[in-house]
Amino acid sequence: MSKTKGVIDPAAVDKEEMFIGWAPAPAVDRRFLLAALPFGLLGAGGASWLVASELGDPGAGEWLTNATHEVTGLLTAAPYPMIRVADPSGPYGMRTVLLVAQGKCTAALKFGVHEASLVTASGVLIQRKNRQMLEVPPFLEKWLEPAEISLSSDVADPTPVNLGSARLSGTIMDSKCFFGVMRPGHGKTHKACASLCIRGGIPPSFWARTRDGRESIMLMTDSNGGPMSMDILPYVADPVEAEGEVVQVGDLIQFRADASAYRRI
Amino acid sequence: MGHQYKAVQWNGNKVVYDIYVLGFIALFVGVFMFVGLQTHESGHRADPVVLAIRALGTTAFMLLTIILAIGPLARLNKRFLPLLYNRRHFGVLTFLVASAHFGLALLWYHGGGPLNPLVSLFSSNPLYDSIPGFPFEVLGFVAFLIMMTMAATSHDFWLNNLAAPVWKALHMLVYPAYALLVMHVVLGALMTEKSMVYPAMTAAAFIGVTLLHLIAGVREWRADNGMKSLKSKGWVDICAPDDIADNRAVIAPLPKGDRIAVFRYDRKISAVTNACRHQNGPLGEGRVIDGCITCPWHGWQYRPNDGVSPPPFTEKISTYNVKIENGRVLVDPKPNPPGTHVEPAVIPAGGGEA
Repeated sequence: MSKTKGVIDPAAVDKEEMFIGWAPAPAVDRRFLLAALPFGLLGAGGASWLVASELGDPGAGEWLTNATHEVTGLLTAAPYPMIRVADPSGPYGMRTVLLVAQGKCTAALKFGVHEASLVTASGVLIQRKNRQMLEVPPFLEKWLEPAEISLSSDVADPTPVNLGSARLSGTIMDSKCFFGVMRPGHGKTHKACASLCIRGGIPPSFWARTRDGRESIMLMTDSNGGPMSMDILPYVADPVEAEGEVVQVGDLIQFRADASAYRRI
Repeated sequence: MGHQYKAVQWNGNKVVYDIYVLGFIALFVGVFMFVGLQTHESGHRADPVVLAIRALGTTAFMLLTIILAIGPLARLNKRFLPLLYNRRHFGVLTFLVASAHFGLALLWYHGGGPLNPLVSLFSSNPLYDSIPGFPFEVLGFVAFLIMMTMAATSHDFWLNNLAAPVWKALHMLVYPAYALLVMHVVLGALMTEKSMVYPAMTAAAFIGVTLLHLIAGVREWRADNGMKSLKSKGWVDICAPDDIADNRAVIAPLPKGDRIAVFRYDRKISAVTNACRHQNGPLGEGRVIDGCITCPWHGWQYRPNDGVSPPPFTEKISTYNVKIENGRVLVDPKPNPPGTHVEPAVIPAGGGEA
């Protein structure tokens, strides 16, 4: 052999038949690919199984879209749209069902003459443990009608009880997704959605864990008990802390702190 | 080969290839959805739409990782060439999976709100000045735009009309796109999920692709180093005719650095450029099949004596004048215009020894 130095001979290292796309595959390639196939199938299936089986717990939320749920009680717009319902068997004798519109634009809900009146509302129930929410269509006549019932003042207008000041750390959620529309409805992958929902008028919730590890969900208001300012949006879904007042209103716990009190941790 | 443009030029191998890729996609997404819905007890089940977004995103990332691995794998082992052959379809299918992921995520997380979904994508998370808080969606969106551009130009029409260097540069953007997707995963899913499986798998994918490229690159670099340009002022001495296997070639670097492939076939010798007109595939690693030089990458063919693709195809590559003197194959280093007929050097009985 007398190749000039620098000349290379691919045939010296590659003696097999060559695969050509438009021709039947050589036996050597067919054998190789058939032998590799089980590994490919096992690899793809195994990787998929591993990724899916390691997903975190999305939480206990439910979005019961296959049934219409009726709620009768006092319709209230402040600090957020809600209906207060008598619940004699419950620990507080009453229950608060938050109201949200379909989609992420609850600010569009206007109650007009029905505000502060007794009504029956029908919609889709969203619930996470003992927290409930009713998702309703945008037009009142589709879901709201006056109700002939009577409610005690403890149910219709529960007296707020200040449980004291507290510095809490936790995460700001939009109640709708967190209560069950999205599972998971928390974490950074849900941050943009949560921010958009709160911008659209869906009540923000503060999700904290108690010292014994239990989940605590508090309705967020400003320091006066009014709706939160949109200044809170940059903090949504991030770990934050804030000092505020913890106030019990019926069965709901409110965390009252202005947006300026929140700090990312 | 480009005698006429069709949306897709199917053949048996492409059909089988696409069926396998679609099968793998269906398997991956199907297993993901099935297992994902069973992972947590009733009442804690993941939302099927969120699960589908994750399944499609994971599938697209896995497919792009495999696509990037195919190139170096085929350089390291010829048995992977069948995967390289139809990689363009693989890329378009990957783009379609990524599109489904993007569309569902845009609809589910950014739709139905007070902002235009695309405005929401850029503005709902304003933490552009924070690394851990950075809006990972924007990284995925930029990668998606790159993939869309690549998928839209993934056709020989664009290869010919954009010119090979521009097309090649455009498609090299797959690397920045992959880097963006790695960051999309790291700053998104990995910031949300707690299992260490996710960072481990993402790192394995990224490191695996990087290592394969490094290994293949080092091998090419060594081969290049062993191929110092031949020094000659006139005709270049390549080898003896018998140094070339029948229907194969040797590859020689000319004094100016161009590489040629010198083929032996039917007791004749012809020399052409080593770069295929299609995607610069190494013609010298190919074979003479049915009387034509055949590129190992995508099977494009050229007649050895004039560098023209057989009818009805019309592609042309440069040829080189060649002769045999004193038992040596000599090549004129000056290339002929593409498609120029050159009389092959006939190997005399006894190999041409004087």
